[in-house]
Amino acid sequence: MSLDATYTRELPLVENNATLKDLDNIIALPTETKPTKGWWIAISISSTALLIGAISLFYTIYYGIGMWGNNQPVGWAFGIINFVFWIGIGHAGTLISAILFLFRQKWRTGIARFAEAMTIFAVMTAGIFPIIHTGRPWLGGYLLPLPNQNGVWVNFMSPLLWDVFAVSTYFTISFLFWGIGLIPDLAILRDKTTSKIKKNIYKVLSLGWTNSNRNWSNYERAYLILAGISTPLVLSVHTIVSFDFAVSVIPGWHTTIFPPYFVAGAIFSGFGMVSTVLIIVRKVFNMEHIITIGHLEKMNKILLATGTMVGFAYSMEFFVAWYSGNTFESFTFVNRAFGPYAWAYWIMFSCNVFFPQLFWFRKIRRSIPITFILVILVNVGMWFERFVIIVTSLHRDFLPSSWAMFTPTLTDMGLLLGSFGFFFTLLFLFLKTLPLVSISEVKAVVEGAQPTVHPHPHTNGKAIQEGGDGH
Amino acid sequence: MDYQKKLLPSKLGTIGYALLGIGIVSIGVSFAVNSHRAFFDYLWMYMFLISIGVGSLALVAMEYLVGATWSTPFRRVSEFLAALIPVLVVLTIPLFFGLHDLFHWSHPEAVASDPILQAKEPYLNVQFFTIRVVIYLAIWLIFFLLFSRNSEKQDLTGDPALTKQSIKLSAPFAILFLLTIAFASIDWMMSLEPHWYSTMFGVYYFAGTLVSAFAAATFCSVMLNENGYFTKKLSNNHYYSFGTLLFGFNIFWAYIAFSQYMLIWYADLPEETFWFIMRMKEGWAYYSIGLVFVHFIIPFLILLPRSSKVNPNLLKVMSIWMLVAHAYDLYWLIMPTYFTDGFGFGWSEIGVMMFAAGLMITVFKYRADRKNLVPVKDPKLQAGLDYHLT
Repeated sequence: MSLDATYTRELPLVENNATLKDLDNIIALPTETKPTKGWWIAISISSTALLIGAISLFYTIYYGIGMWGNNQPVGWAFGIINFVFWIGIGHAGTLISAILFLFRQKWRTGIARFAEAMTIFAVMTAGIFPIIHTGRPWLGGYLLPLPNQNGVWVNFMSPLLWDVFAVSTYFTISFLFWGIGLIPDLAILRDKTTSKIKKNIYKVLSLGWTNSNRNWSNYERAYLILAGISTPLVLSVHTIVSFDFAVSVIPGWHTTIFPPYFVAGAIFSGFGMVSTVLIIVRKVFNMEHIITIGHLEKMNKILLATGTMVGFAYSMEFFVAWYSGNTFESFTFVNRAFGPYAWAYWIMFSCNVFFPQLFWFRKIRRSIPITFILVILVNVGMWFERFVIIVTSLHRDFLPSSWAMFTPTLTDMGLLLGSFGFFFTLLFLFLKTLPLVSISEVKAVVEGAQPTVHPHPHTNGKAIQEGGDGH
Repeated sequence: MDYQKKLLPSKLGTIGYALLGIGIVSIGVSFAVNSHRAFFDYLWMYMFLISIGVGSLALVAMEYLVGATWSTPFRRVSEFLAALIPVLVVLTIPLFFGLHDLFHWSHPEAVASDPILQAKEPYLNVQFFTIRVVIYLAIWLIFFLLFSRNSEKQDLTGDPALTKQSIKLSAPFAILFLLTIAFASIDWMMSLEPHWYSTMFGVYYFAGTLVSAFAAATFCSVMLNENGYFTKKLSNNHYYSFGTLLFGFNIFWAYIAFSQYMLIWYADLPEETFWFIMRMKEGWAYYSIGLVFVHFIIPFLILLPRSSKVNPNLLKVMSIWMLVAHAYDLYWLIMPTYFTDGFGFGWSEIGVMMFAAGLMITVFKYRADRKNLVPVKDPKLQAGLDYHLT
């Protein structure tokens, strides 16, 4: 909750005295108008990247993962880095829609829909990588523990299998959550549109929503239950991703702080990406009074908090590596910070720990250009975090004779670029087809929409009026 | 503000003094009988009081930092409990007479014959250890004095600038709290087994601190509210927040505890597993399994339904339960180093905890008699009193 300078009055979440009708119109506008030139340029760029990714994917599948830079001892590289990176990005949406919902943070309404959509697209992007990393993606069905004639079963002791369960559950629940949240908004679009085809599509998708009392009470019950189910999922997915590394005995991977450290990092990177895109979107679609600087400031606070947690984990790992008295442990960490990949380590450290500390200053938190630069750095830093964890722990393993460096190939780079292309193409399509802010939820936080408490009985009637005008 | 200060019943003070007296006698006898064990008991109690005292200060800071209003009417409760910090400074001194009893690494002859301890010598030595402990105490004490000074001043002036000042204080304190709690736990508890290490350990103690400090705040707030010590009786909306956060903090503890155990169990490296094996010996095995039930499963199931989160009587029981669970947890962390042959518990352990309980009651009563039970002119107070779930 944001309070004014006297700490007595809540600041409005939606600015400019927007009326309910304005909200309908502004939020639905991108879905009702023809795409602009800017949108065409944007989607051309993203789909070009997607095409490059598709070609790289073809090479990978046709010739095999020998096309990648992976070698001995660096058996895991870009494939897993990209997987963890995109899964991490997918953590902001559910945190905003589920955890902030349970914590009754009303400011979430402005950004929840968009962040949830990003979650879904990011998880879809992430899901590609482990499947192609198996080398024979057409046999992907064996990842599921289904009875088969060959009697081939998955290894239930492997966290890689837990990943299959965790990620697919996460995707399913996030998708349902998103879909249910969309129903009332789709009904608004259905009632607003004049095009017959659109009307029919929205009719089907809004499941016969009539805005009746019974509709709403069922809806809210479903939403609450899904929020409850999603909350542990926010933690479990990245916890299990961290287990992929932490259950091993590789120095730099096997460390007990990994689960909360990965979750904090995931939320950090997710908010970084949400902010990056929202800063542009709110400007392009004239939604600066719905997704306000106040929203960006709150996201910056979350970035500050999670960035600091991540910094704490980096430092604690480093300290305990020395404190353990185990030469392998301390070697790995010294090698990370001062070895051949020191540049990657310091990119990671500065982007994730040093620069977000600037968010301690209110001026910087509320400055859009600086925020934009810092959140881009967060995206870069979090990709490099996974690079550092994965590559530097492997490239100099227990046997010095097998030490090697990792160099990505063109196919690696193409797939990385392609993953961004895939993600952004889906995102741009979403922006033009569905309301990117939850209309019904934002309406509920407009000033005057809530039941008002009257601390001073003699100004009773007046207080309501004032609330209505939105000071 | 129509707040009328009501004094806490004098019976409470008597109970506090009685527990304190019995505790002091028990501790004295315990030191005379077996000083080795007495030092471990004392450390156990000391860590428990750090959790409550420093954890309460962290809750105060957290309220300022996140801009919460619902907890403002109850903030004084945590401020009173944070007054344990000055007492903790005094309580630290006896521990320095027991360093050789407690810490294997403090024996130069042990270090001389142990290459791992030699490697850790730059960190684990008496001199640096003392410096660190002084730094922790200084940080906690300074912030305690600053926060309570601001809060007291605001009772007279109601100046919102003081709130702003406290918000500014709580930012550095949040970071310093995390660091000092993590390193204090490494120093006082993890280094009891100087070969063992876990990056999660600091977070583990941090999680326990939050649960126990929050449980203490919940218990006192509900008690005071039910007996009409606040300006108006606060009900479900506030209770629900207490219940939910108690539930949530406890799940966080369980998550950390599970992750730490699971990763060490799975990797199965002897330099890490021995710490859990010590806790699986003779009797300790039952105690360890008990921890899972006492600290997590039972409170989880009881606090899960919405109806229990708004039930004041249940909240009182469960917050005391969580305090006991935290003591149980700390005993599990500390005592296996002393009871190496199997689980043990006796009158001397009960004695130190009576002292701890007596001390908390006395400090609380002492502060409550001298200050308002509600931050009467805090600008956020009205919003806090009017808080309702939507």
